[in-house]
Amino acid sequence: MNSRKGLDPWIGLLLVVTAAPLLAGLGFMLLYSTGVIGLLAEGFTLRYWVRVLLDGQTWISLSYSAAIGGVSLGASLALAFALQAALGGRQRKGALGRLLFLPMVVPPIVAALIGVELLGNAGLLARLAHAIRWVDRPEDFPALLYTPSGAGIVLTHMMLVVPFLLLLLDRLALHESVAALEQVARTLGASRWQAWRRVRLPVLMRASAAVLGVYFVVLMGAYEVPLLVGAQYPSMISVLIQRRFSQFDLGTRPEAYVLASVYACLATGLLLALFAARARKRTRERGA
Amino acid sequence: MMRRALVWSLSGVLVLPLVMLLLLSVARSWPWPALLPAELQTRQWRELLAGTGGLGVIVVRSLGIGAGVATLATTLAFASSRSVARHARRDQLLVLLHLPFAASSVVLGVSLLYLFLRLHLAGHIAGVMLAQLVLAYAYAVILLVGWWNTEVQSLEDLAVALGAGRRDVWLRVLLPLARPLLMVCLLQTFLISWFDYALTLLIGDGQVTTLTVTLYQYFSSGDLRLAATCALLLLAPPICALVINHRLLSATVSTPLDLQGD
Repeated sequence: MNSRKGLDPWIGLLLVVTAAPLLAGLGFMLLYSTGVIGLLAEGFTLRYWVRVLLDGQTWISLSYSAAIGGVSLGASLALAFALQAALGGRQRKGALGRLLFLPMVVPPIVAALIGVELLGNAGLLARLAHAIRWVDRPEDFPALLYTPSGAGIVLTHMMLVVPFLLLLLDRLALHESVAALEQVARTLGASRWQAWRRVRLPVLMRASAAVLGVYFVVLMGAYEVPLLVGAQYPSMISVLIQRRFSQFDLGTRPEAYVLASVYACLATGLLLALFAARARKRTRERGA
Repeated sequence: MMRRALVWSLSGVLVLPLVMLLLLSVARSWPWPALLPAELQTRQWRELLAGTGGLGVIVVRSLGIGAGVATLATTLAFASSRSVARHARRDQLLVLLHLPFAASSVVLGVSLLYLFLRLHLAGHIAGVMLAQLVLAYAYAVILLVGWWNTEVQSLEDLAVALGAGRRDVWLRVLLPLARPLLMVCLLQTFLISWFDYALTLLIGDGQVTTLTVTLYQYFSSGDLRLAATCALLLLAPPICALVINHRLLSATVSTPLDLQGD
């Protein structure tokens, strides 16, 4: 590894295009949210910050986003583990091996449209439920969309995330030689369940922890899916920010910037904590 | 037997949304509780192929923005990733490059808008492309940085020892070697732009209409058939890539492997 003296121009360009706009944007948000700049600026004030931080909706929206992100990821992970165990390597072969990549080419806005057509009261699942005489009318089908429970958001996220996690777990299992480790456990007398619970699960969870952490942050900040299939209240944080930002009343714009600043700091802090924990773990392992 | 049934069921579940969108895009009427449309029509597709309704222009615009962002991001990232890979603070730089993905694209759009308004970039295609470049460039470097290993370094050194100039090393050694990964990078960065909705909405300020924006407009106006047509158009390029070579997409799974605990 070379240690460069001075700033490499290619790294300089990279920082100017990626990091500098972010920092400048954050700076502008802070100035706007404190009344220093903007169309209605009247000089430095913390009243927008106080108003947003004391508003219960802010914390409800943040907690709701974290809960939806956590449930989407947890349910997807559980299903991916179950499918991995049930498929036993068949996900790598034949058409399924290619089809699992299909949800990865589906943008969130299309996934939301599919969610509406699939999970809605007159959607395909409701029609199938009618075909097997479970429901008579659309309103008899359980409401999955636009509900505060966020069921529609979680299920739509799962459509996108489960195949990705299945492929990821599969690759990690090959990379970590999990099958060989399980075989050793079985030879030493472990049951199939014990080998899965004490070998496969901890090895794969440990190997995928950082990816799952990043995925959680991404799901927490999801926008298109909650916008199209989520409830009006509570809103996920990205939807709340966009709504406050786009209101005709320009007075809500500084509040949108406060919300965006709070969320940006939170998400960035989470990601940095994740990377710091990973770096500490690496250092510990190198020292051992 | 059970496994085979599961494989078939799972394959069906994965294909079902696509079939549903296809049917929806050609349905004239699909009353409850029919499982299939009662009447079909090809109006949406005929209009699209005839270029009426402006959808053809929107497709070309979206393709142009995507191709521009992908080409710029991949070209710049190829050079930048080399510098990052060999930098003493490689890990810290990589953490920095993940930050645009931490805050959601809405936060990114909202935070960039004021700056872009000041620079007269908001409401223009160039502004949307620059905003998307923040994500695409960072992603491309993250994707390419692992390619610069000691083997590549040795080949570079060997080419120089044999008298190759800097330009020859790039054009005759590095570029041909990296071509497969660069194709992956081009596709992935194209998809970042092609799939983007929030940044286009905010930075485009309603003046830049792409396929995702049009899809949302059709969706919110209740025209789900045209929304499905837009959705299929959005899916077409990446599905073509998937059919040609699914390895072009497998990097989506491989890239996060760099993040795994060692």
